[in-house]
Amino acid sequence: MTALVVRLRFRMWWTAMTRSSLHLVSSVVGIIAALAVVGLLGPALGLLGLRPPRVAALTVPIFTTATLMWVVLGLAAAGVDNVLDPARFAVLPLRARTLARGLLAAALTGVPALLLTLLAVAQCFSWAGTPRAVPAAVLGGVIGVLTAVLASRAVTTLLAGVMTSHAGRLVGASIVSLATLLPLALNLVAARGRRVDALFDLDARPVARAASWFPSGWGWALPLDVAEGRWSTAVVHLVLGVGLLVVLWTVWVRQLERMLTSPLTSSGGQRIGRGRILPVLLGSTPTGIVAARRVRAWYRDSRLVAIALRTAVLPVFFVLQAVITGSPGLAGTGVVTLAVFAGLTLMNDLAFDGEAWWLHVTTGLRGWEDRLGRAIASTLVFAPSVALTFAVSVWIGVIGEPLPWLAVVLASFLGALALAVGVGAYLPGTAPRTGGNPFAATSGGAAQGCLTALISFIGPVLLIAPVVVAAVLTRGHTAWGWAVVVFGGLYGLGLLVAGVVVGGRRLDARAPELLVQLGRAQF
Amino acid sequence: MTESAPPAIELSGLVKEFRGRRVVHELSLAVPRGSLFGLVGPNGAGKTTTLSMATGLLRPTAGTARVLGIDVWADPAAAKAVMGVSPDGMRLFEQLSGRELLRYVGALRRMPAEDVAARSEELLAVLDLAGDANTVVADYSAGMVKKISLAAALIHAPRLLVLDEPFEAVDPVSGQAIRTILRRYVATGGTVVMSSHVMELVEGLCDRVAVVAGGRVLAVDTVTALTAGGSLHERFLELVGAGQLVADDGLGWLGAAEQPR
Repeated sequence: MTALVVRLRFRMWWTAMTRSSLHLVSSVVGIIAALAVVGLLGPALGLLGLRPPRVAALTVPIFTTATLMWVVLGLAAAGVDNVLDPARFAVLPLRARTLARGLLAAALTGVPALLLTLLAVAQCFSWAGTPRAVPAAVLGGVIGVLTAVLASRAVTTLLAGVMTSHAGRLVGASIVSLATLLPLALNLVAARGRRVDALFDLDARPVARAASWFPSGWGWALPLDVAEGRWSTAVVHLVLGVGLLVVLWTVWVRQLERMLTSPLTSSGGQRIGRGRILPVLLGSTPTGIVAARRVRAWYRDSRLVAIALRTAVLPVFFVLQAVITGSPGLAGTGVVTLAVFAGLTLMNDLAFDGEAWWLHVTTGLRGWEDRLGRAIASTLVFAPSVALTFAVSVWIGVIGEPLPWLAVVLASFLGALALAVGVGAYLPGTAPRTGGNPFAATSGGAAQGCLTALISFIGPVLLIAPVVVAAVLTRGHTAWGWAVVVFGGLYGLGLLVAGVVVGGRRLDARAPELLVQLGRAQF
Repeated sequence: MTESAPPAIELSGLVKEFRGRRVVHELSLAVPRGSLFGLVGPNGAGKTTTLSMATGLLRPTAGTARVLGIDVWADPAAAKAVMGVSPDGMRLFEQLSGRELLRYVGALRRMPAEDVAARSEELLAVLDLAGDANTVVADYSAGMVKKISLAAALIHAPRLLVLDEPFEAVDPVSGQAIRTILRRYVATGGTVVMSSHVMELVEGLCDRVAVVAGGRVLAVDTVTALTAGGSLHERFLELVGAGQLVADDGLGWLGAAEQPR
C-alpha cells in the first residue's frame, strides 16, 4: 500500500509535467532551486564541524526555525500540491492508518522533504568536531525531519476541516496570510539587534538553548545536549521529541479517519445583501459592473481576501522598520513596493475568474471594458491603502521629501496596473481553484511561469524609471516637485491607457483561445 | 419554413483539431428557424465542441458557422448579440448571488437596468430560484446552476437559444417549467438548439434531431421521420452501432450470486 501511494504520486507528477510546460518549468526550477540551497547551505553546515560546539550550536536555532517555517509554508502549498488529497481515497476500502503510512512516505519522497533530509545529513557533519554528538545528531535529524513533515500534514488536515465553510475559509486565510509575514517580523526584531559579523567569536549556545525548548527544536537540540554532556536534558528532549511525533501521528490519523468517512464538504449557503453602494458608485455600464464585481470579489472570495490582507499589512512592517532603523529611504521604498504589488495583483485576475470568463466572451463584452473595469476595481481596493500608508509615513516624518516620493508612488501604482492589465491579457497566469484552499493564494505566483515573474520584476522598474530620474533631479525644488508629481500622474495614466488598449485588443482577438487557457488556469 | 431567410444556424465544413487529433470532421448542419432542434450523440461525440464553435466560444480549425445569417467568426460581437448560450459544465461567476449574476449578464449585454431588474425577478420566479436569489452561485446545487445559467441565456430575449444539456441534474418540476418555456419560445418564432443524451427527452420535446458521433453527423431529420420504425432510442443505437457493447456473456462475474463471502 505504501509503495503504491508513492508510485501514484510520482505517476501523477509525471503526467502533470508531460501535459503542461508550465508544470515542467516550475518543477525544474523548483529542483534547481532546491539543489542550489543544498549546494550552498550543505557545505556551510558541514564546515561548522571544524568549529567548536559553541559555533556548531547554530544548527539548533537554524533547524528549529526551518521546521517551524516548514509547517507554515506547508499550509501555503497545501492547495497547490493536493495531488494526494486524502478525500480522494474516500471511496476505497482503506484504513486511515494504512493511508497515513502511504501519504507520509509520499511526502517524504517529495522534493521539499528530500531537501530537508539532505540538510539534516549536513547537520550531522556540523557536529563532527565532537564525535560523541554525531549519533545524537543523526537521531535528532530523524526526529526533526519527521516532526516537520508530520506537523505540516497534521496541521494542514486539521485546518482543512475548518476550511469547508465560507467563514472558516476567510478566518483561515487571514491567519495564514499573516503567518507568512512571520519572517518579516523576525527580520524586524533582528534589525534592532547587533550585527552578526563576528562568527568566530560567536557563542550560539544561549540562543540554541532557548530554541531547544521550542517544540520544533526538541529533536534538533539532541547533539548540543550530548556535546555539552547534559545527559538529563538530552533524555528530556528525546522523550518530548518522540512524544510530539506520537501526538502528531495520532492527530493526523484521527483527521484522516474523519476525512475518509465524511469527504463531502457542507456548503454554507452563503447569503448576501443586495449591495446598494457599488451600483451607485460605479454605474451600470459594462465597465462599471465589471469593476463592481471585482470589488465584491476582494471581500467575498477567500482566495483574494488572503492576498488583500497581506498587501494591507505589508507596508506596516516597512514603516515600522523605517522608524526603528531610522534609514530615510526605507519608508518611501516601502510605499513604492506596496504600490507596485497592489498594481500587480491584477496580473492573474483572469485566472481567478477561470472558465467563468465565458460569460464575458458570450455577451460580447469588449476587451477594453474588461481591462478598464478590473483596473478601476483594483484602484478602489488598493489606492486608499497606498494613500494612507504614504500619508502616515509623511506625517510621522519617515518620508522626508514627500513630493518626489509622491510622484514615484503615483507612477508606480498606475504603471504596475498598466503592466498587469496589458500582460495579464497575454499571460493569464494561474490561481487556486474557486472555493478551494485559500492558503494557496498566499503563495501568490509560485507556480506561475518564469516569464510572468520576470516581467513583474523588471517591468515596473523600467516603466517608472523616467519618473524616478525626474524626481531625483528636482529634489529640493518645491515648484519643480509639484511639476514632477503632475508628470508622474499623467505619465502613469498614459501607461494605464496603453495597457488597457493593448490588453483589450488582445482579449478581442484571442478570446476563445484564452478561454481554453483559463479552463486550465485553476488547480 | 421561410424560404428566403437564412437558417438559424448553418455550419459548413466545421473542423476542430486538438494537438493534431481531429475531433470534429468537416461537419455541416443547418437548423431551420423556429425549430426545437435536438443534437444527440454518445459521450465524446463532439456535441459540446460543435456547439462551442457555433457560439463563438471555441475557434474552429476550419469551416464556417453562421447564426441567423451572421458569420460567427467574422463578426463575433454581432453573432453573440442575437443568441443566448448556456454551455454545459462551464462555471459561472460563483461569488455573485443568482440575482446579481442575472443583473451582471444583463448589464454586460447593455440592457436598460429597469428591464434587467424586472426580467430577472420574473425568470427567478418561473425557475423556482426566487428563494435562493441572494445565495451565492458557489453554494447552488448542480440543478440550480443549470437553471440560473438558462436564465442568464434568456435575459436579453435572444432569437436563438443554444443549450448544452439543459436538463441535466434538473428536478422534474423545474424540468417541466423549462420545457414549457422552450415550447412557448419556439411557438413565438424563436429557435432552440439543445444537446442531450437522454433520447426520451429529445423525442418528446424536439421536432428535429441530428445524431452526431465521432465528430460527424450520422443523420438529420424530423423526429417523426427518424422514429418511423421505432423509438428514437432504438434508432440512435442502430445509427451509432452500439447495440452489442455488453454481450450476453460479458461481465459474467458481476452478479449477486457469486459474491465472495
